[in-house]
Amino acid sequence: MSETMAVFRKDLRLAWRDRSAWLSAAAFAAITVLTYSFAFDLATQDVRPLLPGVLWTTFLFAGILANGQSFQREAEQGTLDAMLLSPVSPTAIYVGKVLTNVVGLLTVEVAVLLLATILFGTTLLTLELSLIVFVGTIGYVSLTTLLATLGSRARARAVLLPVLALPLLVPMLIAAVRATGASLGDPVGTAPWMLLLVVFAMWTSIGGALLFPMVTER
Amino acid sequence: MTAGLASLAARAYGLRWRVLPPLTGVAMLAMLIGAVLAAPREVIEGEVQRLMYIHVPSATIGMYGSIGVVFVASAMVLWKRDMRWDAVARGAATVGVLFTALTLLTGAIWGRPVWGVYWAWDARLTSTLVLFLIYCGYLLIRQIADPHDEQTARYAAVFAMIGALDIPLINMSVRWWNTLHPQPIVVRPLGDEALPTEMLIVLLVGTVAISLLVAWLIVLRTETELAAQRIHGLRAGVDRREAS
Repeated sequence: MSETMAVFRKDLRLAWRDRSAWLSAAAFAAITVLTYSFAFDLATQDVRPLLPGVLWTTFLFAGILANGQSFQREAEQGTLDAMLLSPVSPTAIYVGKVLTNVVGLLTVEVAVLLLATILFGTTLLTLELSLIVFVGTIGYVSLTTLLATLGSRARARAVLLPVLALPLLVPMLIAAVRATGASLGDPVGTAPWMLLLVVFAMWTSIGGALLFPMVTER
Repeated sequence: MTAGLASLAARAYGLRWRVLPPLTGVAMLAMLIGAVLAAPREVIEGEVQRLMYIHVPSATIGMYGSIGVVFVASAMVLWKRDMRWDAVARGAATVGVLFTALTLLTGAIWGRPVWGVYWAWDARLTSTLVLFLIYCGYLLIRQIADPHDEQTARYAAVFAMIGALDIPLINMSVRWWNTLHPQPIVVRPLGDEALPTEMLIVLLVGTVAISLLVAWLIVLRTETELAAQRIHGLRAGVDRREAS
């Protein structure tokens, strides 16, 4: 546990020192919301049926963009090898990374929700929606952080990560969009979307923690 | 006893190139004749129903069978750390993608006259498409990265296992998602009414033919990969000797 917290603190400090990565993800998210507004004419129409989809595609794209860089600098500077050599379990490294990415993305997502609240005149920062965003973010960040370990080995990594991650995230995207719609008062049927989100988050975080040592083994 | 069985299996495997290609050829020919000539014309759907004899085996044996092989071989890559299992996984993944594409294609051709559309956002179709995309991603990893890098092999194995474990969640989510949409056509499940005996026999022949074809292709792809691995190893050895 203390190992995990040490890695988490180290990664948070690095993220804070190099804010440009997260600022660019936040800027990308803001631009995406604006682009959707123009493309779907969200400002003048009833936005509620479209809003959950707009929010979650924005979160996913920004998240994959930001998480793709999780190991890039580490791989370039050889610090990942150093960390793997140190007496810290790989699982602690993975959990620390995931926690850092979750904190960074939750910040971006809250900013997007505030922006959308202002732009579309719909109250979005409710307790229910915050919970959905939190669980959904844990689910997809666990997966994209694991997949980001392809690191600097592959050329064209920037294109590869979304192509690999998005099909796997289909269940999470559907559940998150429906649950968000439900919290905004849309008729979305009676399927237990929240349960699916929780199951997905548990599955990806446990699977990621178990498989990460195998991926990074030298 | 086990030694005898092992030597028997080894001898049977040694005969693969003499047995598999002609047997596959005969079975495929039998399937075609059966599907086009012998099987009775379906009363409601007409001639297009004859696609069933290739569509159903492609989905069950070609798609799910190959993906099962990929899953087991990927687990063995992670467990045994043996690159020979990686060759099996790569070979089966290629064959799996091929037959998944074939399943989607024959399904679309069959769907057009029967349902009125090539594609429907039906739960089974949608999850097959997502599966297709996941395994295309798997092949993409192998194409982009160095094929002989063990770490990439492990990464691909982890990806394949996540993909396989994701299938139940994808199925469930897509089914729930789909119930919200209006159903434009009624999909008639195959098992609803018992197939006439002649159709069943042709379907059985088709299943045998596709099974043989899948086995042949997987063995062929795997041995090609193994040969590539050996060449890579030999070349690395020569390079080392020249350098020293």
